[in-house]
Amino acid sequence: MEIEEKLALLNYKTDNQYAHITVNPKICETCPDHFCTFACPASCYKIIDGKLNFKYEDCVECGTCDIACSHGSVTWTNPKGGQGIKYKFG
Amino acid sequence: MSEFDAIVVGAGPAGSSAAIKMANAGLKVLLVERGDPPGTKNVSGGILWGKDLSQIIPDWEKTAPLERFVERKVTSFLTADSEISIDFKTLKFSTDRTGYAVLRTRLDQYLSKKASQAGATVITGITVDSLHMENGKVLGVVNEEDTITSDCVILAEGANPRVAIKAGLRQPPGDDDVALGIKQVYKLPEATINERYNLRGNAGFAGEYVLSFLEDDVYAGGFLYTNKDSISAGVVVSLSKLRENGKTRSFDIMEKFVSHPFISRLLEGGQIQEYSAHLVYEGGYSTMAKLYGNGYMIAGDAAGFSFSNGMVIEGMNYAIASGIMAGEAAIQAKKEGDFSDQSLSRYGRMLEESYAIKDKKTFRGIEKVTWSPLVHRIIPRIAENSMMKLFNETGEPKDHVVRILLDSAFDQGISKSDLLIQGYRLMRRM
Amino acid sequence: MKKVPLDIIVMVKQVPDSQEVVIDPVTMNLNRSLTRNVTNRADENALEVALSLRDKAGGTVTVISMGPPQAETTMYECMARGADRAILVSDRFFGGADTYPTGLTLASTISKIGKFDVVVAGEESSDSSTGHVGPGVAEFLNIDQITYCSHVDYKDRHVIAERELEDGTEVVKTPTPVLVTVLLNSNFPRRQTLRRKIDAMKKGFEVWNLEKLGLPPEWVGVRGSPTIVRRMRSIKEKERAAKKFDLSNLGNLVSELYEKNILKLEED
Repeated sequence: MEIEEKLALLNYKTDNQYAHITVNPKICETCPDHFCTFACPASCYKIIDGKLNFKYEDCVECGTCDIACSHGSVTWTNPKGGQGIKYKFG
Repeated sequence: MSEFDAIVVGAGPAGSSAAIKMANAGLKVLLVERGDPPGTKNVSGGILWGKDLSQIIPDWEKTAPLERFVERKVTSFLTADSEISIDFKTLKFSTDRTGYAVLRTRLDQYLSKKASQAGATVITGITVDSLHMENGKVLGVVNEEDTITSDCVILAEGANPRVAIKAGLRQPPGDDDVALGIKQVYKLPEATINERYNLRGNAGFAGEYVLSFLEDDVYAGGFLYTNKDSISAGVVVSLSKLRENGKTRSFDIMEKFVSHPFISRLLEGGQIQEYSAHLVYEGGYSTMAKLYGNGYMIAGDAAGFSFSNGMVIEGMNYAIASGIMAGEAAIQAKKEGDFSDQSLSRYGRMLEESYAIKDKKTFRGIEKVTWSPLVHRIIPRIAENSMMKLFNETGEPKDHVVRILLDSAFDQGISKSDLLIQGYRLMRRM
Repeated sequence: MKKVPLDIIVMVKQVPDSQEVVIDPVTMNLNRSLTRNVTNRADENALEVALSLRDKAGGTVTVISMGPPQAETTMYECMARGADRAILVSDRFFGGADTYPTGLTLASTISKIGKFDVVVAGEESSDSSTGHVGPGVAEFLNIDQITYCSHVDYKDRHVIAERELEDGTEVVKTPTPVLVTVLLNSNFPRRQTLRRKIDAMKKGFEVWNLEKLGLPPEWVGVRGSPTIVRRMRSIKEKERAAKKFDLSNLGNLVSELYEKNILKLEED
């Protein structure tokens, strides 16, 4: 089963006003490893046309990317007001 | 005058246990959880070991949403073609139950309801943004630029403790402090689970695996736990090894685990209900921060209280135990009207006396073994090699078992003295 | 000009989370045991309209809902977003109601509250999608209604609303009292805050039963419902033909569409 299909099983309440994780594209541009793309279990980080593409909507809020990025690009906060991932089993 | 005696951040096992303890003693408690309902942000492998809950909920074994009790405990090495296991099952566990499979959305809601019944104000769906501090003293919590005051704050935010990190009360974790846990829940009929895992009634299976078949130097462990009518299957991936490797994606490791021939047949026909991921604390005693200070205490995973010695993975029991102790310290502090660093050091002393810290000390440095080439590559290969020699009838006379073991080690390019040294280290740490 | 404070009533409903809805293949009903309840999303937009009208004109926002006791989470949530008061109309007599007695029950709740200027509702609920209840309440109360609003404003005892229609946008100005229904996703609902949620838990919400409303039991719930569900069937979605085209060669796409008579040149 592909990761996209697995993520499609999940219930998210997406906050359209607030991205709880942001990346600094300037830092990502010169990144030598893009370890985020290997570490993130929700495949939120992808290289598309040679550029890092990040989408917070699929995030499962594990915190891995904040540790994975050793270049200081990731700013990590919790989603607000009960929004974000909503596990059914956990 | 503060609005609350104590504010607890996070309604997981640690936070709710602290809240129950304090509310039972008549303290004015606010429990704030960002998930709505509690547990919807949480993931754990799934076995709750020990009986710490009895201290605050005497009848928990009858009333808590427990899936199955552990009757059969398997520890395995998985190579590409083989599985070498210690498969321990005992009827003794049915009278002296020590581990239960749980699902967190159910357990955490149960615990937070108990906190509410004990008299705590339980608020869900609200994120604490930061702590309100003055001169190093915690005076309350901040949400949307508004401060709610309390005499003390117990931070029980879990393995990704943003509030504690933001306030400088914890260092952000590094590659060696945490591993990445990924889990899938499979729906399977109860009868199929019983038959497939050789179980009866509400007895359960708990398996932990060393995934030595993974290519390159990616190290990961796997787990398989039976719930009533579902299976929790997952992996715990070493972040530092994943970084060194630089070409394997974390979620592919999950897929490799469940595709292993001996694992996939245990999950066959099961439909994936949920995919989830969470950080797991791996760091040993030395990486634990100071867990209290002026007006605050840190409990559970936020304090680094989870543990694995390669045989069992534990976390929720330490969370509950540390939550109860933090609650106890707050109760004493309230009696004395003193929530200073000095007063709350009682929490630190209670921890030192408890099995939570003692385990950490006993197994100091264990993470160096559990994530070592010895465990992840060498032992599995030697074991597989030896077994093949033992069971393979070639028409030649058989060697002594020790001879086979040593030869197998030699085949793997390990000298006898090396094996002895490595083996000694392993035994010492475990 | 003198500022006239508004008394606003918002009608909300707790619904099964649409992301988790499971249909029982045998009975064709929602399997509610596997689904968690949430506040209907369009009602969150309705509440936001009410709160922003109050921000502008001053006054009060009262949330009302008809539902079982577990709808308390929705009541607290609405108060934590900023509602002043919440009333849950709950009684076993109300069970099994279709949209007719639901409208009647909510309209008599509003009458019982007494003074109001604007009633706001979501366009429809995600679990039954009829869009009946809002307009029904307006009819029972005998007041004007503006449905499917994307924007609602207030000035000099008039509500000015933009209605999204299939062929354009209509701007309507109506004197109060008036009922408006609000489109899903037409605004960003403000967040709950910790302070407001603590206050809400302290204050609590009201629960009104049938006796309080003084309605005859045969007018409400399943007994008061004229709808009879005769049969349910699932619809098999037809698979649509799809073909991938390379973006760099759009000419192929155009010529194929032309050949299949889907696309026409002007002189044809």
